[in-house]
Amino acid sequence: MSTAKGETKKVPTYCFQCVSGPDLIKVEVEDGIATRIEPNLNICGQHPGKGTPCVKAYGLVQKTYNPNRISQPMKRTNPKKGRDEDPGFVPISWDEALDAVADKLVKIREMGLKDNSGYPRLAASFGGGGTPTRFMGSFPALLAAWGPADLGFGAGQGVKCYHSEHLYGELWQRAFTLAVDSPYCEYVINCGNNVDASGGATGVRRGAEARRRGLKRVMVEPHLSVTGAMSAEWVPIKPKTDAAFLFAVIHRIIKERGWRETCDVRFLKEDTTSPYLVGPNGYYLREPDTEKPLIWDLADGRAKPFDTAIEDPALDGSYSAAGLELGADDEVWRHDGVEVKPAFQMLLDHIDQYNPEWAEAECDVPAETIRRVGDEFVAHARVGDTIEIEGEILPLRPVGVMLGKSVNNGPGGYHAVWARTLLSVLVGAIEVPGSNLGTKVRLNRPANNKHLSAVSSRDGIMDFPFNDTSKEGWASQPRIRNGYNTLVPLSSSSPWAPALGPAHLPWLFQKEAPDNWPRPTLPDIWFCYRTNPAISSWNGPEVAERIAEFPFTVAFAYTQDETNYMADIVLPEATDLESLQLSRIGGTGSGEQFWKHQGWMIRQPAVEPTVDAMDMTDIATEICKRAGILGPYNMAINKGAAGMKLVSNKFDYGLEGDVAYDRDEIWDRVAKAASHDLSDGEEIHGIDWFKEHGYMLREFAQREWYLYPYLKERGIRFELPYQERIKRHGIQLANRLHEVGVEWWDKQLKDYDPLPKYESFPDIWTDFVREKGQDPEDFPFWALTARSMQYAWGANVGIPLIYEVAENVAGHSGIVMNMQSAKDLGIGQGDPVVITSATGVTRGNAVLRQGIRPDTVLMIGQFDHWATPFAKDLNLPSLNSVTDISLSLTDGTGSGSDIVRVKIEIDTEARSAAS
Amino acid sequence: MTAPITARYGMVIDLNSCVGCQTCTIACKHANDTPPGVQWRKVIDVELGQYPNVERLFLVTGCQHCAAPPCVPVCPTGATKQRPDGLVTMNYDTCIGCGYCAVACPYQARTIVHEQNWYYGIPTAQETQVAHDDRIGVANKCTFCVERIDSGLANGLTPGLDPDATPACAISCIATAIHFGDFADPGSDVSQLAADGRAFQMHEELGTDPQIKYLYGLPGSTPGRDRTADDVDEAALQDPGNPLVGQRQSFWDMRAAMNFTLGGMGAGLVIMAWLAHVTGALPQTGLLILNVIAGGAMAVGLFCVFLEIARKARFLNVLLRPQTSWMTRETYAVAVFYPALLADLIWPSEALHLIVALAAAAFLYCQARILPAAKGIPAWRAPLMPWMLLATGLLEGAGLLAIAADMLPGAREAAVLAAGAGGVLAVINALLWRNYMAEAKTSGVGPLARAALQDLSHGLRIVGHALPVLGFALFLSLFFEYPFVAAIAGLGAIIGGAWWKITVITIASHQQGFALSKVPQRGSGTRAAPARMGTAA
Repeated sequence: MSTAKGETKKVPTYCFQCVSGPDLIKVEVEDGIATRIEPNLNICGQHPGKGTPCVKAYGLVQKTYNPNRISQPMKRTNPKKGRDEDPGFVPISWDEALDAVADKLVKIREMGLKDNSGYPRLAASFGGGGTPTRFMGSFPALLAAWGPADLGFGAGQGVKCYHSEHLYGELWQRAFTLAVDSPYCEYVINCGNNVDASGGATGVRRGAEARRRGLKRVMVEPHLSVTGAMSAEWVPIKPKTDAAFLFAVIHRIIKERGWRETCDVRFLKEDTTSPYLVGPNGYYLREPDTEKPLIWDLADGRAKPFDTAIEDPALDGSYSAAGLELGADDEVWRHDGVEVKPAFQMLLDHIDQYNPEWAEAECDVPAETIRRVGDEFVAHARVGDTIEIEGEILPLRPVGVMLGKSVNNGPGGYHAVWARTLLSVLVGAIEVPGSNLGTKVRLNRPANNKHLSAVSSRDGIMDFPFNDTSKEGWASQPRIRNGYNTLVPLSSSSPWAPALGPAHLPWLFQKEAPDNWPRPTLPDIWFCYRTNPAISSWNGPEVAERIAEFPFTVAFAYTQDETNYMADIVLPEATDLESLQLSRIGGTGSGEQFWKHQGWMIRQPAVEPTVDAMDMTDIATEICKRAGILGPYNMAINKGAAGMKLVSNKFDYGLEGDVAYDRDEIWDRVAKAASHDLSDGEEIHGIDWFKEHGYMLREFAQREWYLYPYLKERGIRFELPYQERIKRHGIQLANRLHEVGVEWWDKQLKDYDPLPKYESFPDIWTDFVREKGQDPEDFPFWALTARSMQYAWGANVGIPLIYEVAENVAGHSGIVMNMQSAKDLGIGQGDPVVITSATGVTRGNAVLRQGIRPDTVLMIGQFDHWATPFAKDLNLPSLNSVTDISLSLTDGTGSGSDIVRVKIEIDTEARSAAS
Repeated sequence: MTAPITARYGMVIDLNSCVGCQTCTIACKHANDTPPGVQWRKVIDVELGQYPNVERLFLVTGCQHCAAPPCVPVCPTGATKQRPDGLVTMNYDTCIGCGYCAVACPYQARTIVHEQNWYYGIPTAQETQVAHDDRIGVANKCTFCVERIDSGLANGLTPGLDPDATPACAISCIATAIHFGDFADPGSDVSQLAADGRAFQMHEELGTDPQIKYLYGLPGSTPGRDRTADDVDEAALQDPGNPLVGQRQSFWDMRAAMNFTLGGMGAGLVIMAWLAHVTGALPQTGLLILNVIAGGAMAVGLFCVFLEIARKARFLNVLLRPQTSWMTRETYAVAVFYPALLADLIWPSEALHLIVALAAAAFLYCQARILPAAKGIPAWRAPLMPWMLLATGLLEGAGLLAIAADMLPGAREAAVLAAGAGGVLAVINALLWRNYMAEAKTSGVGPLARAALQDLSHGLRIVGHALPVLGFALFLSLFFEYPFVAAIAGLGAIIGGAWWKITVITIASHQQGFALSKVPQRGSGTRAAPARMGTAA
């Protein structure tokens, strides 16, 4: 679609720089030059964001013409690597560059795909959220053709994502991430989920529509974020105490108000595991023959298997019953008559200690506020109401609870996610119109249909692909260096699992090997694409040092950055507006991507590359050709590695054997297969049709947004409140690890609690200061971070236009401090300050605001660049420079949290330099 | 294409929808190819109140396409006009870049870029492709995407309904916070949204009738509230980091101030000298010498202004708007003054003396009206400002006359007149200044500008007011024996006049900040929306 001199065209394509995409756009091209971006309003009627892209998409033009782009392939001439070592990059031809990579791959294949520690010799890291796959063309087929690869070197995963939500969300409601059903929702308790900055164009639009309709959102967070600003109420809470707040809201609802008055009792009895009886050892009491969990029927005073006719299931009380408990490993207890309680009674007992006054002391939120929020939540839950969706009557429960990053990951994440899901369950507000909804699945399969993955376990709950912790099945040998399959049963084994394990552990272990664990090794080759862990990981400076130790790094690069500074080969890829790809669109997805359509869209070259860059698809094909794996590569594409399988029982657009196809041919076949599949063969389009039209859609039923009707059809219950499986896996995992002498994961094992007990989570970070031999009194502030819509995921910090407009949003020019706290320290607006933690230091200018707790400071985004052109001169601080990677700060799911204790002082050096 | 005369295009912006994402800002930059740092559509990030009672909101700003636009009448060239459909337009080919419209705008909507800058420091292919040389050195502002509106109308589309006839910011807004349409059509979306007092206009009290109207409530759930005194207190207005606070204007610098200083004192001298002459205190020769000196001072001042305008080759365009612009009128006064002065030197006559004096008076009067018409600068638009400029000009003239009288033959009596008039004028100046300072806060001058005025005030009272009053009085009471006393008093008057004018024009010249008379009801503590136990409307 490139244009010649004198022509003006508008080229349809997409922006998928963040997980809340896609945003469909048109690129105006004059005389072959991309001049402007505008919304693609052709899709206004189908796109839930009405075809409007967010601010980031408009940076793509400057990205294309950035004079700082790497303009040709380069190789490193300085064998020493490090921040202080000039890489000595020199230009080389594409042939030389591709041969160098292919030669390396051939040599590695000769040595064997795994090293002596059993780890893959090839590693690759991609930016977060899966967005790089929307740009990397057929590169996934290269990985598939290759064989075992270590995709578990994190760039911030775990600490920067909704980690506990990912894992427990998929366990409990097939929700890799959650959204509220904005078109129907009326009331939201939001603990720090910055959706108006992170939800993309669609999330913002639906949120604004909901507010205009009357939705009330109460924002509970330490600083007044963009989303807090747009909420009816901001409740300033002490950092990391959100679980205490939510526990007390639950207490208000089920204890003070009384669950019979406030809860959806029918739902609890029929559609959750609340009535399952729990034995004295903490496991479900089961019928001895079938091993089915039992429920006490009040109608006739007997315990019955959960899936039999039960007239009146007991939710509270204690009963004497017979049955067996299946514990961890092979533990079995048989009871003839033993006191048992319904899981819900266990909850009532458990939550008794967490009253609003207790929470007030813990989280600095008045007890009356907690009570009122609980009452509002119940009032808006509209228990008993229904709504008609596409002719079907469904429950209407227009209340939601959202959790933000740093709330739902790291220590305390499990507690917060459990409490959130429980709140939803109490009033039946889960996976029904108006309530919390899962967006998509990443751990369960199939990946493109969350409903099909919801099959019943023998206990009548959703089955889940836990990594085995049994004696026979446990993987004592980690598949990759982060050990997800060994350490984190919940991370499962899907293609996404490596990134959802403890993705920071490889960096940590590379520095200091843990006991009784395969020797940490360096990957023989590391590919990095659209990722910059040297900046984006917690403790970026430390990670940069580890990256410098890698022997052979291949970086697909757009400009110089802090990670590709350590590369051996730098390959400039054709960027967003210069390359070709077809991608799925529609259905349900991250942010608030809830469509009534689904289909395919194109990203296409609006202009020719402005530098000597290659399309990722051509790069992948060329490397495979030169490395002798073209056959498996083509086979992988045929199987769907480029997003759509080319061969099925209805069509065959497959690639042949060892033929090297060019980019357009590969995507033409993908286009035909995709359109064939979408239209059942009615409407088959090649890539040229997509280039002209931009996208192809078919209808997607709104019913698909909601999981509850499917569970109901299949007789599956939500597994709440009691976590029997978690308890069993925890004990088994502890046994396995201790059997092989691993004791450094013991702290994490505490999370495997069937009813999570609150501990004072903030203390973990103050204790960490002590662990580092320093006095917590010296570090009086909580330092946090927050999402920048303008920058997040975009790798666009080197684009001046984005910088210019981001400056309009407070906090983008430095570190946000409470006005009074700053005054007490003699710090004025714009003063240069030094931010010091027990392990790191960063610098920036003070941004004084009222909307932040006096004990908290905030550094938006991820900056502190030292190599990226333009960005390195911005003098912006970064939380990543003052956090530390540590097992002490890692939870059972293998995640951490973006929080650290710091002190703030005037930067006298900078001030005197300025004056 | 001329729009229907019945239309009145404008916007409604919903403060409960806008999340401050800057998509409109950047979409505008794309649609209008604005250069680095120029944002015709800007969204500022506002805080109200103090922790723990805080509200944060995002305020969409830009040209308000006022129904009574203060930028249009001041423009000396006619480059800024208002169309029948309400759009306030810019003609880049006529504008001289004098910046008068920019200081007249109370919404910080206008910019002048003096040289082409590039985002990466060097031109890229894309920036070169979309660069607009005609916009360098002239006033720029939001056009409501007039080209889109006009081409849309030409194609039968309806602005506000059809995207192709609607400003880029409105169609790109991801929150549906920006609505565009025709307020003259009671059935339009914007008219409906803003009906029944649901919207407020910014700075309504200035009489500009801006055509951006802000929605602050959520009908059916949260009504919104009136602004309270502690939403934006004095401390907040002293914070230069607060986006509500107007920054010091940069359009008129020392060059403009020199015109007010030298022009004022020159014109004052011509008037005072003429008064001395007609009362017999100054011979014709002395009058002509003083008029030449005054004319020289005024010429230097005018040359400074010439240096200030960005498009110098077009300076004659300044004559194009005598109907409304005091700047044009000032030029006409100049156009009479200098030929009359020249003629008077060649053919001296009482009639020409009078014409020269009247032209100087007209010049001084025009100057006195120029500054207050700049509605965008609270310190300038104060009601007393024309009187202060007139009184100071005359006082400076008296001061100069007092200095000159001793040096000119046969002009000693002029010193007596100068001292008498100067003493009275110094008292008037002192009273005017006292009242100006007393009224500064209530007339909208913010604390930063007030502090600058305060810094000046003490010295001004001594040098510019007390010294002339006492000096002239002493000179008179000593029976005119010591002319140097009058000269010192005169010097004080001149220094005082120049001092305050330079200060007011270049230092205490903060732009009108942004303000909201109504605000959404949300935030923490006392600002939170009320508890709601029922279901939504």
